Amino acid sequence: MLKLDRITKRYGTLTALDGVSLEIAPGEFFGLLGPNGAGKSTLMSLVAGLRAPEAGRITLDGRRVTAADPATRISLGLVPQAIALYEDLSAEQNLQIFGELYGLRGPDLRARIDEALEAVQLADRRRDQVKTFSGGMQRRLNLVAALLHRPRLLLCDEPTVGVDPQSRNAIFDFLEARVRAGLTVIYSTHYMEEATRLCSRIAIIDHGRIHALGTLDELLARLPFRDEISFPATPATAELAARLAAHGQIIRDGGTHRFRPATAFRTSAFYALAESLALPPRLFVTERPTLEALFLHLTGRTLRE
Amino acid sequence: MRIILTLLRKDFANFIRDKAAVSLTFLVPVALIYIFGQVFGLNRKDSGPTGIRLAVVNQSDNPAAQQLVDALKAEKSFRVLTNRVNPDKSERPLTEEDLRPMIRNRDFRFALIIPRDVIATRGVGLHLRILSDPRNDIETQTVNGLLQKAIFSNVPQLLGQSLQTSARKHLGNPRLDQFNGELAAAVTKAFGGDVEETKQALAEGDFGLSALGAAGQSGQQGASADFFAKVVKIENEQVVGKDVKSPEATRVVGGWAMMFLLFALSHSAAAFFEEKKAGLFQRLLSAPVRRAHILWSRFLYGVLLGLVQLTALFFAGRLMYGIDVLGNFGNLVVVCTAAAAACTAFGMLLAAISPTAAAANGLATFLVLTMSATGGAWFPVSFMPEFMQTIARFTLVYWSMEGFSQVLWAGQSFLQILPTVGVLLGITAGVMAVAVWRFNRGAIFD
Ligand SMILES: Nc1ncnc2c1ncn2[C@@H]1O[C@H](COP(=O)(O)OP(=O)(O)O)[C@@H](O)[C@H]1O
Ligand SMILES: [Mg+2]
Repeated sequence: MLKLDRITKRYGTLTALDGVSLEIAPGEFFGLLGPNGAGKSTLMSLVAGLRAPEAGRITLDGRRVTAADPATRISLGLVPQAIALYEDLSAEQNLQIFGELYGLRGPDLRARIDEALEAVQLADRRRDQVKTFSGGMQRRLNLVAALLHRPRLLLCDEPTVGVDPQSRNAIFDFLEARVRAGLTVIYSTHYMEEATRLCSRIAIIDHGRIHALGTLDELLARLPFRDEISFPATPATAELAARLAAHGQIIRDGGTHRFRPATAFRTSAFYALAESLALPPRLFVTERPTLEALFLHLTGRTLRE
Repeated sequence: MRIILTLLRKDFANFIRDKAAVSLTFLVPVALIYIFGQVFGLNRKDSGPTGIRLAVVNQSDNPAAQQLVDALKAEKSFRVLTNRVNPDKSERPLTEEDLRPMIRNRDFRFALIIPRDVIATRGVGLHLRILSDPRNDIETQTVNGLLQKAIFSNVPQLLGQSLQTSARKHLGNPRLDQFNGELAAAVTKAFGGDVEETKQALAEGDFGLSALGAAGQSGQQGASADFFAKVVKIENEQVVGKDVKSPEATRVVGGWAMMFLLFALSHSAAAFFEEKKAGLFQRLLSAPVRRAHILWSRFLYGVLLGLVQLTALFFAGRLMYGIDVLGNFGNLVVVCTAAAAACTAFGMLLAAISPTAAAANGLATFLVLTMSATGGAWFPVSFMPEFMQTIARFTLVYWSMEGFSQVLWAGQSFLQILPTVGVLLGITAGVMAVAVWRFNRGAIFD
């Protein structure tokens, strides 16, 4: 449905996107995972037609997206990273305005506003000024404001920044329900937990390049280790840590050692070694590696520096 | 104490970072001090107004009357007009019949008529007429003062002739001649000098009164000025604004209106940045909304707000001071719209060229204050040096004030205000063109 073909975007001398190619199918919950400054918002703004790329082309349902042609915009909705609401106006007035800009009028618009406010649990605050809302409530309104015109593609640019856990879950549930109903979503975030929970496919982006692309399983399979074993860093475990260095990657993370075994090194060998050092198995926690680990592996950096 | 010092350092650090604040603190006062200094004539040898157009019609063939005209021409406060330029560029002397229509047409606001009977044929005295459009109180008072000064310093000559004329009537020619001869002899005997010359001087009316005039002019001699005031009869005729119901209020309301409008200007500049900051432009532009939609809706908003604001102001003026708003209401709305449009355009230009909201605010304050000062919202433009008066004509304040005065003070028709409205709309178009161009190239939508 959406296709980006070798997109390059520069701000002066800074290359924000460097030959990015992507293809997104209808009904996907597509994640863009990358740290601040990776180029996520820039990508969103190009798809939304707010800016034009220096090179490459973007097509939505085969029709080219350009900054000059507003025709494709009716089929997409943008949830900007900033809270883009008129905060002196009420929730209802905001939705009214944004709905009218898409040509919605009268009872139809009123019904959609009711529905939207209901869906994000803001119906009882509909007449209150947006500036009296909590951060989470503003985020929820910011989200539904992009959906009134029922776009087929929703661009969510870090929609949960600064949101309490309850609102965050409300946003997740809402989006998941919409995707089940057929909406296509591109969701950018620097929280790997969000990408893990929500997205059917994830692109890992940094410095304007896509470093990896696929489902969660496909991505994690690219790591040279499958599990991560952590144990407390104490004098008793120092010997173990030293010996493990030969069999994989060992990282000291605060009071914890994290061991990522090399593919050839089997888990049974690990426990044998631990036993020989008289360390009880309850010291060890085995975890599936995370996207964080993949990001570190791919870029040598952490998602949140 | 340490804490205070730390907080103090924080305040200064913040201040120096804020370029708008720094320029507001230093640049705006300096600019305004300069303008005020020009108005009050600081460091100028000759303070007071300059270049006020004064039409003079001299109907008298008396050489002393011509001297008065020359004296007025030499006065730098006045630019004396004695000729009328025809449409075909040829010139002819102004006549009294020209004056009133030309004043109504705003060609000039003051005219002096030296009538044929400048020297009274009965009794002793002089007679002059001044026509005026006293649309600005301060200016009118000053001009009257200057005219009196110029007339009084030329009065002695005229007055002496007036004495000779009446003496001739009472004594007859031969006896007057004899009287002048005897008087000249007596004068030369007492003070020295040539008898024939003195007699000649007496016949021309020089009784030494010019010394008195000089004293009156330097202002030391209130008594002689009083004396002149009794002998010189100046007839004042107000050509424009005679029927204005509340003249004082009507004359100042234009200046007030401009202040209102200009503050709306700063507001409209700042609002743009609010929307940008909130990411609202992104939301709007991702909808089927174009930049032009955003720009022109903002422009319309500014114009309508200005219009509503001005209407409210004028009605308040009507309620409180009896300003006749309804008498020429249609044209008033036209001028208000044009003025509001020009102000809004400036607000948009500020938003377009400023990198930040703070900078836009700083620039707006600077522009509002300097335009108000140079454009005549605070004091008459004619009080500034000529080059500042030229600059004033490039401000929207000047043309708006002109429009308000034309409508409320002079009660002019739509056709008559059209040129002023045209200038305002021209300013609007020019400023908006630059603003739109800057918006499309600038970073505000990024
Ligand atoms: N309007 C802009 N002008 C100049 N540089 C920009 C602009 N917007 C973003 N950038 C730069 O482009 C890079 C990518 O930014 P962005 O797309 O906002 O990243 P993200 O959304 O992933 O945090 C960053 O280095 C950022 O500083
Ligand atoms: Mg971003």
